[in-house]
Amino acid sequence: MASGVTVSDEVIKVFNDMKVRKSSSSDEVKKRKKAVLFCLSDDKKKIIVEEGRQILVGDIGDSVDDPYACFVKLLPLNDCRYGLYDATYETKESKKEDLVFIFWAPEGAPLKSKMIYASSKDAIKKKFTGIKHEWQVNGLDDIQDRSTLAEKLGGNVVVSLEGRPL
Amino acid sequence: MSGGVYGGDEVGALVFDIGSFSTRAGYAGEDCPKADFPTTIGVNAEEEGPADMGVEQESNSGRSYYIDTTALHVPRAGVELISPLKNGMIEDWDAFQAIIDHIYSKHIKSEPALHPVLMSEAPWNSRAKREKLTELIFEHYNIPAFFLCKTAVLTAFANGRATGLVLDSGATHTTAIPVHDGYVLQQGIVKSPLAGDFISMQCRELFQEMNIDTVPSYMIASKEPVREGAPAMWTKKDKLPPVSKSWHTFMCNEVIQDFQASVLQVSDSPYDEQVAAQMPTVHYEMPSGYSTDFGAERLRIPEGLFDPSNVKGLSGNTMLGVGHVVTTSIGMCDIDIRPGLYGSVIVTGGNTLLQGFTERLNRELSQKAPPSMRLKLIACNSSIERRFSSWIGGSILASLGTFQQMWISKQEYDEGGKQSVERKCP
Repeated sequence: MASGVTVSDEVIKVFNDMKVRKSSSSDEVKKRKKAVLFCLSDDKKKIIVEEGRQILVGDIGDSVDDPYACFVKLLPLNDCRYGLYDATYETKESKKEDLVFIFWAPEGAPLKSKMIYASSKDAIKKKFTGIKHEWQVNGLDDIQDRSTLAEKLGGNVVVSLEGRPL
Repeated sequence: MSGGVYGGDEVGALVFDIGSFSTRAGYAGEDCPKADFPTTIGVNAEEEGPADMGVEQESNSGRSYYIDTTALHVPRAGVELISPLKNGMIEDWDAFQAIIDHIYSKHIKSEPALHPVLMSEAPWNSRAKREKLTELIFEHYNIPAFFLCKTAVLTAFANGRATGLVLDSGATHTTAIPVHDGYVLQQGIVKSPLAGDFISMQCRELFQEMNIDTVPSYMIASKEPVREGAPAMWTKKDKLPPVSKSWHTFMCNEVIQDFQASVLQVSDSPYDEQVAAQMPTVHYEMPSGYSTDFGAERLRIPEGLFDPSNVKGLSGNTMLGVGHVVTTSIGMCDIDIRPGLYGSVIVTGGNTLLQGFTERLNRELSQKAPPSMRLKLIACNSSIERRFSSWIGGSILASLGTFQQMWISKQEYDEGGKQSVERKCP
């Protein structure tokens, strides 16, 4: 069952840019998005990219020290969001990168917001073809600890996330 | 019309949520239903002439119905109580129509043809019944647009979850319904009859053992205060009509249900006689004036919900306690989605409002769930949200402007027939 809310083209473009890695100059790499949030438009008809709620790859080491902690801070405590997070992690064997789709619906969000975001999740997820990891998060305690994301990514084989050991 | 707290776009849709205990109905976009009355209705099989024709009497094909709290509570000769639902699904269509008619004439006070209708249904509703309902809605009521939604999905969404396990403990059943990405996983539904009505039955037996008469208030003309534990002193109303057994039982049950809500408490660990003996007693006064203190019974009776093995009259039974209902249901789902279900166990339904219910469930599940699983129990604190969660979810959904494309429109029904419901409302 769905709400009929649609996904704006901009959202799909952001997703494709994050998914497809073109060989690009280091300047372009810096502009690539590490994480981004999506929200509903004011008229509640479309899912759009939320202005100013993003982390660029270039920010890391510059204005952003720990991208994961910074991403968690972007999430509003009193409203729902969708998010994409480009996680880099290491298992015992290799280094990996994976996109994670996050559905954020904290307990403190208004009921109406929870209802609309939950019933529209399918619409946005369908546009994100090839997403391996989907994560429903309902509060800071689900996400604060980086080991919860590591678990999501690869069970117990992940040894470090964003270059930080677990 | 609409535009209340959740006010969205103006569509003037109606939301009907008909449960086995009570019926909720109202305008989409509002924060609570306009009407909330027992689903049980009175029916008078033999017409006795217009003896007590009142506004509350609704006649339909030779049977007259008494619907809604007020009409239901008047003692009348020959009125039997029935429920249009059986096992959460519509069984008596005639009585069901009487309820819908009543909602339109007494609560909505408008023409059915003016408002789209979103209705909730049991997750296990059969295809034949869904199609029949769709037919009735369009052909008989001439409704402009219709949508049918599973209660569990509405509840999950209203709690901000597209995936989760909905534990719904109502009057007749306790059910665990796995919801994944907004769809009910039919193969994982687990039902148990250990619910509110079962607790009422246990209370009735307790009263019999203790020689307490459950006297419903309709019989009482006057009463005198008596000392605690002393026999009640009350006088019976004269000129009571010869009421039917089903009606009398219903009134007794209301007394018991009040007792249930005020006195009972679920023990936070498996029942232990010594612990129960230490329970602070609660004083309860029956409508007849009889009053006494209840101690260990407060814990003993609801214990059957979680541990049916010691319940009298159920010996050798194979019924599942509430904790088992949850774990069995999750166990029947794909191993990949189990963490998501354990991580969002949503507790809903009137019976879960028993004191201590969620605490005990949390404890049981943390013992039964595989240790690697993160367990989280979600229960709204307000009783309104716990009882009305599926109605409120439907209210928000139906008020969305974007939802208009989801409705089965009259035109689509005319073209596609009643099968449209399977296509549009999976």
